[in-house]
Amino acid sequence: MEKLALTTNSRARKPASAGGAHNALAADLTRLLGPRKVLSNLSERLNYRYDAIQFGATPLAVVLPESTEDVVAAVRAARAAGVPIVGRGAASGLSGGAAPTEPGLVISFTRMTRLTIHPDRREAQAQAGVITLAVSDAARPHGLIYPPDPASFRTSTIGGNLAENAGGPMCFKYGVTGDYVRALSFVDADGELHHVTRDAFDLAGLLIGSEGTLGLITEATLRLIPPATHTRTLMAHFPEVGACAEAVSAAIAAGAVPSKLEFMDRACTNAVEDYLNLGLPRGAEAVLLVDTDGDDLDTVQDELQLVADACERAGGTVRRAATDAEGAALWRARRSVSPALGRIRPQRMNEDIVVPRSALPDVVREIRALGDASPFRLVQFGHIGDGNLHPNILFDPRKEDTHAVHDLAHEIALVALRHGGVLSGEHGIGSMKRDFMTDAVDPGTLKALWNVKRALDPHLALNPGKILPAEGVDG
Amino acid sequence: MNNDIPVQTLGGQGEVMAHAVDACVHCGFCLPACPTYALLGDEMDSPRGRIVLMKEVLEGGLPLMDAAPHLDRCLGCQACVTACPSGVPYGELITAFRGWSEPQRQRSPFDRAKRAAILKILPAPKVFSVAARLGQFAKPLAPVLPAALRSPLDLLPEHVPAMQPSADFTPARGVRRGRVAFLVGCAQQALTPNFNAATLRVLSRNGIEVVIPDGQGCCGAAALHTGARDEALKLVRANLNAFNPDDFDAILSNAAGCGAGLKEYPMVLHGESDEARAQAFAAKVMDISEYLGGLLADGTLEPTLPASRPLKVAYHDACHLAHAQGVRAQPRDLLRAIPGVTVLEIPEGDLCCGSAGTYNLEQPELATQLGERKAKNILSTHPDLIASGNIGCHTQIQSHVRRQGDRAPVMHTIEILDLAYRGEL
Repeated sequence: MEKLALTTNSRARKPASAGGAHNALAADLTRLLGPRKVLSNLSERLNYRYDAIQFGATPLAVVLPESTEDVVAAVRAARAAGVPIVGRGAASGLSGGAAPTEPGLVISFTRMTRLTIHPDRREAQAQAGVITLAVSDAARPHGLIYPPDPASFRTSTIGGNLAENAGGPMCFKYGVTGDYVRALSFVDADGELHHVTRDAFDLAGLLIGSEGTLGLITEATLRLIPPATHTRTLMAHFPEVGACAEAVSAAIAAGAVPSKLEFMDRACTNAVEDYLNLGLPRGAEAVLLVDTDGDDLDTVQDELQLVADACERAGGTVRRAATDAEGAALWRARRSVSPALGRIRPQRMNEDIVVPRSALPDVVREIRALGDASPFRLVQFGHIGDGNLHPNILFDPRKEDTHAVHDLAHEIALVALRHGGVLSGEHGIGSMKRDFMTDAVDPGTLKALWNVKRALDPHLALNPGKILPAEGVDG
Repeated sequence: MNNDIPVQTLGGQGEVMAHAVDACVHCGFCLPACPTYALLGDEMDSPRGRIVLMKEVLEGGLPLMDAAPHLDRCLGCQACVTACPSGVPYGELITAFRGWSEPQRQRSPFDRAKRAAILKILPAPKVFSVAARLGQFAKPLAPVLPAALRSPLDLLPEHVPAMQPSADFTPARGVRRGRVAFLVGCAQQALTPNFNAATLRVLSRNGIEVVIPDGQGCCGAAALHTGARDEALKLVRANLNAFNPDDFDAILSNAAGCGAGLKEYPMVLHGESDEARAQAFAAKVMDISEYLGGLLADGTLEPTLPASRPLKVAYHDACHLAHAQGVRAQPRDLLRAIPGVTVLEIPEGDLCCGSAGTYNLEQPELATQLGERKAKNILSTHPDLIASGNIGCHTQIQSHVRRQGDRAPVMHTIEILDLAYRGEL
C-alpha cells in the first residue's frame, strides 16, 4: 500500500492550469447556482484542499451552498459529472477528513449558518455551518448550553463536529457530539434529502462520525442542557507521565466524576507556555487539569478533594484555581496545545487513540518509551479521563523521513490495540489512520463496513479514500 | 506549512516570508478572528487562505494576479496574530510579500495615480493639511462623485483645524524624571493637532522632557503596507538618522499605526547592513499609553483631578496597538486611574473598524461594512465618551458614529487624560 502523503507537497499539488477551471462541472454548477456560490478560479480552489493536518488534491470546483436545495443541486451535478464529493466545515479537523484524495467537488458549509433555539424543548436547530461555540452563546440567555466542546470550538462547525463525532474536555462526564443529536437531515449520494431521528434504524447514528463517507449532513436538532451552577478547577503536576495516569485511574475508581480531566506532557506545557505565558510548571513531566461541577457546591468541592488526594498519593503537586478567571486561563492553555505544537516542528502526525483507563499508566509509559527511542519529538496530551490520548509526532518533512513517521504512528496504534483500545476517539480515521484499520478491525467486520458504505453510496463518490482501506488489501 | 519558497533568490525578505509560512500549521484558529472572513465567509479571504496563496505565488505555482484580489482585501489588522497559537508572524509575511510583489503588479493608470497621490500626500503634513481643507469644501459634492473620491471625503471632519506645529523641545514640569523623543506623525498633525498638544502637556506634567528630533519624517508604515518598499526604506533610514536611541529613555508615538511601523524596522531591514541599528532603535519605541502605563504601574504617574461627573468611556482597541504591539491593558488602566471614569468593553472588540491605513481608500465597500459594524457595537454600550489610540480608527469611528446619529465625543486616550489633568473632564 502506498504510504500517506504527510507533506504539503503531495503529487496532486501543482495543478496544470492557471486561472479558472474550464471544466463542464464548474460551468454546470455556475449555471445552476450562480457565480456567488461557485468557486472555480485556481486561487480559490487551492484553498479547499486541506484541513488542519493534511493537504490533498485540488478540487475541480467548490460550492458554498446557502440552503439545502443548493446542496441537493450540487450533489446531483457532481454525480452527473462522475466526480467525487467532499463535504467541508471549517477544515480544522486532524485526520485529513476534509482534504480530498482526488480532484472533485468540495461542498463547504460555512455559509449555512441558520440557528434557532427552542428553549421549551431544550433544543437547537442548527444548519451544518453554524460555529460550535455559537450554539452555546445563543442558548445561554435561555439558561441552556450545548456541552460538546472540541478544542476548536471557536472555529469548527456543527457539521464538521457531526462528521467526526467530535469530543472535547467536557466529554468525560457529558459525552460527545453524537450524544446530543436528536435528529438530522442529510443529502445522500444521489442528491436525495432525508430527515432521520434516532429510532427505527438509527441512521442518524450511522451518519454521525462517518466523516462524510455516507451522506452530507445539512442540519441537526441538538439537545441542550442547563449548565452546572458551580465549577471548581485544579491543576496537578507530576514528575513522571505514568504517575499522572495512575492518579486519574485512582480518582475515578474512588468515585469522582469530574466534568473535565485533561492531560498535557512536558513538551505540550512548554509549547503553550511559549504562546500564553501563564506560569505553567515548565519542569513537570505531566500536567493534569481537572474540573468538577454540579449544582451543590459541597459535592463539587468534595469531588475535587477526591481528585486532589489521588494526585498527591501518586506523587503530584496540586494547585487549585483561586478564581474563575484563573480556571479559564488554564483551560485556554489546554485548548491551545494542538496548534501551539507548530512552534516546535512545522508538521505533525496526530494520533487519537482510546484505551481502557486501567491500562493508561502502561500505555503512556510505552508510548513515551517509543518516542524516546525514535529520532522524533513525540508529545502526548488528551482527554485522559476517557482514556483518549493524542500522541503527536512532530517532524520537519524537509529534514526527516516521513515514512519513519508513519511507521512510528503505526507502532503507537499497535500499543493502543494491544491494550484493548481503538484508533479514534474524536478526530476520525480520515486518511491518516486508514492504513491501521486492518490491524484494528477483523476482515469480517471490515466487509460489513464496506457493505454499509455500498448500500448508502453505491458509486463510492462520497469522500473516497477515507476510513476504509481498499478491499482485498491485508495489513 | 511545508514549502519550497526559493529563499536564496529572495534575500532577507525571503527569509522573513519563508519563516512565517513554515510556522503555519493551517489549524484554522485564525478564521474567527479575521474581519474579511467574517464578512465574506470563504477560505481565500482568511489568514490561513492568504498564507497558502502567498506560498503558492512565491513558489511559482500561482500567478500573482490570481492571488492579488484576496491579498488586497487583507486589512493587515493582525487580529490573526493574536489568535494564532503557533506564533505565525502574519503581519511580517503580508508586509514583506506586498513589498516583494508590488513591483510586479500591473495596475491601471488611474490606480497608479491614486496610489502615488496617497503616498505623496499622507506623509507630508503640510500638503495633507491643504488637501484636507480643500476636501472639506468638496464634501457637499461627495454624493455625486465616484466611490474612490467619495470615501476619503466622507472621512474628513466637517471642520479641518489649522496646523499647529509642535515645539522642538518641551521642558519637564517640576523635577525632571525622564527624557523622550517624540514622533509627531503625519495626517494627524493636520486632522487632530490636539493629539500632539495633549501628549506634550501630559508628558511635561509628569516630569518628562520631550524632544522632537529634527529630520524625522513619516514612519513609513503606509508606504510599507501598500508595497512601496523603496519609498518606505528612504523614510525608515531618515528616521534612523534622526533618532539616536542612546539619547533617550524612549522613542514615543501616539498613533498606533506609526508606533507599530517603528517597531517593524528590524524586520524591514532584515539581512541588511542597518539591521542592528534598527534593532537598537526599535527596542526604545513605545506607544504613549505603554510609556505612561509604565509610570502608573510604578506608582509614579501624577494623579489627575476627578471627572466632573461619572463618565462611561468605551475604549476601542486599535488593531495596531492591541494586535501588532500587544498594548491592551495600559490604556484601560490609564483611563480607570481617572476618578469617576468607568471603562466599557465593546462587543466584538477584536474586530477591525475598517480604517486600516489606506484600506478605506482601496477597499471602500468592505471598510464601510466594518465601520458600520464597529459603530453599532460601540453604541450598544451607550458610552459618554469613545476613546482610541489611533488617528485612523478615530476618523473612521467618528464618521460612522455620526452617521448613526450619535454625538458622543470620540477622543484619543491622551486627550482624556489631558482634560482630567486640567480639571476639564
